[in-house]
Amino acid sequence: MSSGINRSSGSMLQQLLSRGEFAVTAEAGPPRGANAEVVSRKGAILKGYVDAVNVTDNQTAIVRMCSLAACTHLLQLGIEPVLQMVTRDRNRIALQSDIMGAFSLGIRNMLCLSGDHQSFGSQPDALNVFDIDSTNLVNAVKNMRDEGKDMSGFALDVAPQMFIGAAENPFADPFEYRVIRLAKKIAAGADFIQTQCVYDMPRFREWIRLAREQGLTEQVHILAGVTPMKSARMAKYMATKVPGMTVPDSLIKRLEGAGKEKGAEEGIKVCLETIQEMRELKGVHGVHIMAIEWEDHVPEIVKGAGLYPRPRAA
Amino acid sequence: MTLPHTKRFRPRITVFHCLNASAEPALESSADYEVKAVNMPCSSIIREVFLLRAFEAGADAVALLVCPEGQCHNVNGNIRAARRVARMKRMIDEIGLDGRRLNIYNIPPGNKLAIQHAIRQTVHDATALGPNPAA
Amino acid sequence: MIVAEQKPLAEIKGIVAPYQRLLVLGCGTCTKTCFAGGEDEVATLASALRLAFKKDGKTIKVQELTVERQCEDEFIKQAAPLVGGIDAVLSLACGAGVQMVASRFRKIPVLPGLNTTFIGVLEKQGLFIEKCLGCGNCVLDDFAGVCPTTRCSKKLFNGPCGGSKNGKCEVNPETECAWQLIIDRAKEFGQLDKLKAYSPPRDWRTSHAGGPRKLVREDHIV
Repeated sequence: MSSGINRSSGSMLQQLLSRGEFAVTAEAGPPRGANAEVVSRKGAILKGYVDAVNVTDNQTAIVRMCSLAACTHLLQLGIEPVLQMVTRDRNRIALQSDIMGAFSLGIRNMLCLSGDHQSFGSQPDALNVFDIDSTNLVNAVKNMRDEGKDMSGFALDVAPQMFIGAAENPFADPFEYRVIRLAKKIAAGADFIQTQCVYDMPRFREWIRLAREQGLTEQVHILAGVTPMKSARMAKYMATKVPGMTVPDSLIKRLEGAGKEKGAEEGIKVCLETIQEMRELKGVHGVHIMAIEWEDHVPEIVKGAGLYPRPRAA
Repeated sequence: MTLPHTKRFRPRITVFHCLNASAEPALESSADYEVKAVNMPCSSIIREVFLLRAFEAGADAVALLVCPEGQCHNVNGNIRAARRVARMKRMIDEIGLDGRRLNIYNIPPGNKLAIQHAIRQTVHDATALGPNPAA
Repeated sequence: MIVAEQKPLAEIKGIVAPYQRLLVLGCGTCTKTCFAGGEDEVATLASALRLAFKKDGKTIKVQELTVERQCEDEFIKQAAPLVGGIDAVLSLACGAGVQMVASRFRKIPVLPGLNTTFIGVLEKQGLFIEKCLGCGNCVLDDFAGVCPTTRCSKKLFNGPCGGSKNGKCEVNPETECAWQLIIDRAKEFGQLDKLKAYSPPRDWRTSHAGGPRKLVREDHIV
């Protein structure tokens, strides 16, 4: 979609978005250990309720089972994964290598990220990599797919045909530069964008408006991130402890007002309201539900939002 | 015959003083303590190593007499001196000699009582902490 | 300048403990400028070491000498006459200086008294900040005079990342986001458009990643 060369990647997510369907994706985090069961369990909950499942890559720099392996476990359950890949831990040699491996295993979607700094995670003593940044990675995958060449110019025997995603955070600073950055990622080759979870609707609307004005919403599929709040305490934690997050005071107050017992219920209500607004917002082509360690609530959210059953692939 | 542990300890103190704070010849030894006085045109002249060398020379306690805040002839001299003293107190702790052996006193210019108090306090500190273990 | 910090006294004491006769060798250039290894610091440290060992009942002989800088033989050789009468040198130069002295005075250990940290500036009184990490391919003209390699925690050339908040870096709220600085400065002289251009992956061969580096000036070799 982004470059004019529209090679089908065999990705169901791409097919649905190309047809104009409102897509639903969700996130599953791998375990801190080698237990494939954890991944399969999450997959089983989400199957049928979402179009694809993102698997995070050592999120927050905490060491977990690698995204590539977890994606493969999901594939075996008949679920379409989105391989998240950060540039914090791997250089261009390893990144390209993993992309080829991923495609060979049947993975068709990837999300290119820089990654949270290692100081946040379980190994702050590690050396980081950042050989290339997320925009470079988007461009590298695009060239692998469309030119069939790796970053050194070598012609690949089979080119990985990936549906390429990138992340954007409409709530990070500087605000006016965020749309320039979105344009850069699209020019580099991004086919879809998943945003940081949205609580500040007015600011998100403003960002989409600016993107729309520049014609960017016609060039890339934007999926808005949503995360249901489990409690007022979670809201306060996210407001202060999570990098790149904006949580309005009004939301915290609303959750506090619901009382301890009803906090989760209110949180889901807010999430459903947000999804409804996204469905009505021009330029938004789907939602990305990040219910971290709360995956079992995704089915009820998808149903409550009127997005179940999911459309079939052609 | 006096046994070593009952031999009276006569503290040796070194007093660095800014001439603006006290030009008084009030810094004299007595039967109970020995004072070595070192004068400077401004307390900011003090170098950290001077404070340590005083201890190398055998001082049991060291005092720096400076002008009160806001009254330094050279604007911030007394503040710089205070920072150096603070740093050396920490260093003397790290060395293992106890940073309480080193202190700074603000003396209103020519105030004899203040000077006497500073000396008395320094001698008290030296007595309480005992002889310099690195003398 | 090269910025370094003196190691804690306890650590230095442990490093020099095996030796009876020491030379504390200071440097009059970078480490003097960052108050870690100049003449004053040599004097203070030498005195502190004497006191610390005396307290343990051990007398060590500590000599003191500060040379212009320890990264050039021309100045290091001033210490040569003292080397015969000592068991070790405690160098208060940066890592480069320590190694230069070690390669010249091969028969005795040359020990580091400092932790060398970064190439930086005195931003204001009492504050030194890292500005350059010596990547070997300066592109400050592309980034409004702010280095994204050194000053962006993720070395992003197509920044900022999603963690930039109120002009600060997600890693440390006291660290300025380099990309906020780049964007602000570019705006100031009307070159924000330059930042719309895609920056391709870097060639790291000119940096330390390509191996330890050298510079040869044939025209200086007589």
